[in-house]
Amino acid sequence: MSNAEHLATVMVDAFIDAVDRGIDLVPVVADSTSTAKIAPFIKRFPDRLVNVGIAEQSLVGMAAGLALGGKVAVTCNAAPFLISRANEQIKVDICYNNTNVKLFGLNAGASYGPLASTHHSIDDISVMRGFGNIQILAPSSPRECRQMIDYALAFEGPVYIRMDGKALPELYDENYRFVPGAVNLLREDGDVALVVLGSTVHEAVDAATLLADSGVLAKVISVPSIRPCDTAALARHLAGCKVVITVEEHNVNGGLGSLVAEVLAEQAMGIRLKRLGIPDGEYAAAADRGFMRRYHGLDAQGIAETALALR
Amino acid sequence: MNPYNDDVKTLEQKARAVRRHIIRLNANSPAGGHTGADLSQVELLTALYFRILNVAPDRLDDEERDIYIQSKGHAVGCYYCVLAEAGFIPVDWLSTYQHPNSHLPGHPVKQKTPGVELNTGALGHGFPVAVGLALAAKKNNSRRRIFLVTGDGELAEGSNWEAALAAAHYGLDNLVIINDKNNLQLAGATRDIMNTDPLAEKWLAFGMAVTECNGNDMASVVSAIEGLTAVGKPNVIIAHTTKGAGISFIQGRPEWHHRVPKGEEIELALEELKDE
Repeated sequence: MSNAEHLATVMVDAFIDAVDRGIDLVPVVADSTSTAKIAPFIKRFPDRLVNVGIAEQSLVGMAAGLALGGKVAVTCNAAPFLISRANEQIKVDICYNNTNVKLFGLNAGASYGPLASTHHSIDDISVMRGFGNIQILAPSSPRECRQMIDYALAFEGPVYIRMDGKALPELYDENYRFVPGAVNLLREDGDVALVVLGSTVHEAVDAATLLADSGVLAKVISVPSIRPCDTAALARHLAGCKVVITVEEHNVNGGLGSLVAEVLAEQAMGIRLKRLGIPDGEYAAAADRGFMRRYHGLDAQGIAETALALR
Repeated sequence: MNPYNDDVKTLEQKARAVRRHIIRLNANSPAGGHTGADLSQVELLTALYFRILNVAPDRLDDEERDIYIQSKGHAVGCYYCVLAEAGFIPVDWLSTYQHPNSHLPGHPVKQKTPGVELNTGALGHGFPVAVGLALAAKKNNSRRRIFLVTGDGELAEGSNWEAALAAAHYGLDNLVIINDKNNLQLAGATRDIMNTDPLAEKWLAFGMAVTECNGNDMASVVSAIEGLTAVGKPNVIIAHTTKGAGISFIQGRPEWHHRVPKGEEIELALEELKDE
C-alpha cells in the first residue's frame, strides 16, 4: 500500500474533525505553525489556536493551564525543543498534575537530518518513560496516526505522540484498528524478530523481504504504544526466536530497545538481543535520512546484515 | 462570591490565627519547614480566602470558581493553615505537616489536599499555568479570575518572563499576579544573589498594570486587590513584605527560610500572636 502522507497533515485533519465533533480543542504552538502544517485549521477556526512565540516552557505550562480551564490542549512543535527545553514543565505541569494535554513531538528522531543534533530528538522516549503516567505513542503510518490521535483526544489525561517528520506510506488496510498497548505482527513467521516503532517499521518490513530473499524468515513486530504496552503479548511473539533485533531512530538507551530488553530479562527468556539505534555515546549523523540510516545500520540493508550476522 | 467576605478587622484576627497555626505546624514538622516564607504571605492569603476569592469548600468543582495558585510552593505551610482556617481541610491535619504519606506534604499536591489547585514546588511553574487558565477563562467567556502568588527570588526563573509576554500579549486582565516581595531567598538577600529590582518598571515594560502595597498590612492588601481596574492588561501587585513577618525574632532573618521554631521559641512566638 502506498499513499504516503505527512503525519502532521493527518494530525491537522484530525484536529479539524475533532472540533467539528464538538471537542473543545485548543492547539498551542511556539511559532511552529509551519512545522505543524496547521494553516488549514487556522483558516477554519481563526480564533482557536494559541501561539506563545518561541517559548517552550510557556507552551507547555500554558497548555496545562488551558487543560485545567476545561480545554483539550494539544501542543504542536518540534520534538527536540518540546522534550528538552520544557522538560520540567512536562514533568510537573503535565505528568505530575495529570493534566489533559496531548503533546505532539513533531519531526522526532533525526527527521531534521542535516540540521544536526540540536534539532534531533533521539532521547524523547527515554525521557517520557521516566515520567510515571504519560502515555507514549509512535505512529508508523497515516492510518495508524489518525486512529491514535482520535484515541488520544478522547482519552482524559496526558499523552505524548512521537511524530516522524517525513511523509510515510500506508502499512495497513481499512480493517486496522489501533488499540492502546497492542503490538502488531506485520510478518508472522521466523526465528528472527525485528521489533520496531514509528518510521523504522518500514525499514523492518523491507529488511524482512531482503532476508526472505536470502532464505531467512523474520517476524516484524510493530510497537506503536510504548505506554501502555502489552508486554505479555510481546513476550509471546518473541518466544522461540533465536535473536531479537530492535530498530529505532532513538538512542539505544531507554527507548524501544530497553523496553524489549526488560521484557526478555524479566521473563528470563534467554534470547539474544541486538539494539539498533543511535549507539551509546553517539549523536545521530547530521545527514539526510538515507545516509543517516545507512551510517547507523538502521536501513533495511543494515538490519538484514545484522540479522544474518547474528543468526 | 466569597463565603466569608470579612472586614479588615476580622481579617486581621484571622491572620493572627493563621500565624499561630503556622508556628505549631512548623514546630510539629519532622522535616523542617519554610517558616519565614510562610509568615510573609499571611495577609495575602488571608485576604484572598476570606474576602476576595469566589471559592468555597463545598463547591471545589465549580467551573466559575476563582483559582488560586501557590507558585512559591515552599510556603505551603501558610497555604495549609489558610485552607484549614477556611474549612477546606480539617484543622487537625495541620499537626501532620510533612509526616510520612500525610495529607500535607512539603509542597502542594492536589491529589492529597482538597482545595489545592496545582502541584507546585519547582519554581517558575505557577505563572505559565495561570496564564493558560486565564486564557481558557477568556475563551469560555467566564468571569473567573486567576490569582497567583510568586516569591521575588523565584522571579529569576526565565519561565516567568515567557509567561509575562504571553499574559500581556493576550490582554489577560482576569489574571492577578502577586509578588510576595520579602527581599530574601534561600542563600541571602535577593538583591545580592540576583537582583530583580527595579521590579515595577520591569512589569510595566512588559505591559502589566502595576500596583504596590504593604503586603503585611491587611488594609493595604485589601485596598490593592479591590482597587484593580485594569482592562486589557494583566494585573501585578507588588506586595512589599517582611520574611517572617509578625514575630519579632523571626522577621527579616534569612536563616528562617528553612528553619522551624523549637523549644521556648514556640511559646515566645505564640505569646506575640495573642489576640488583643
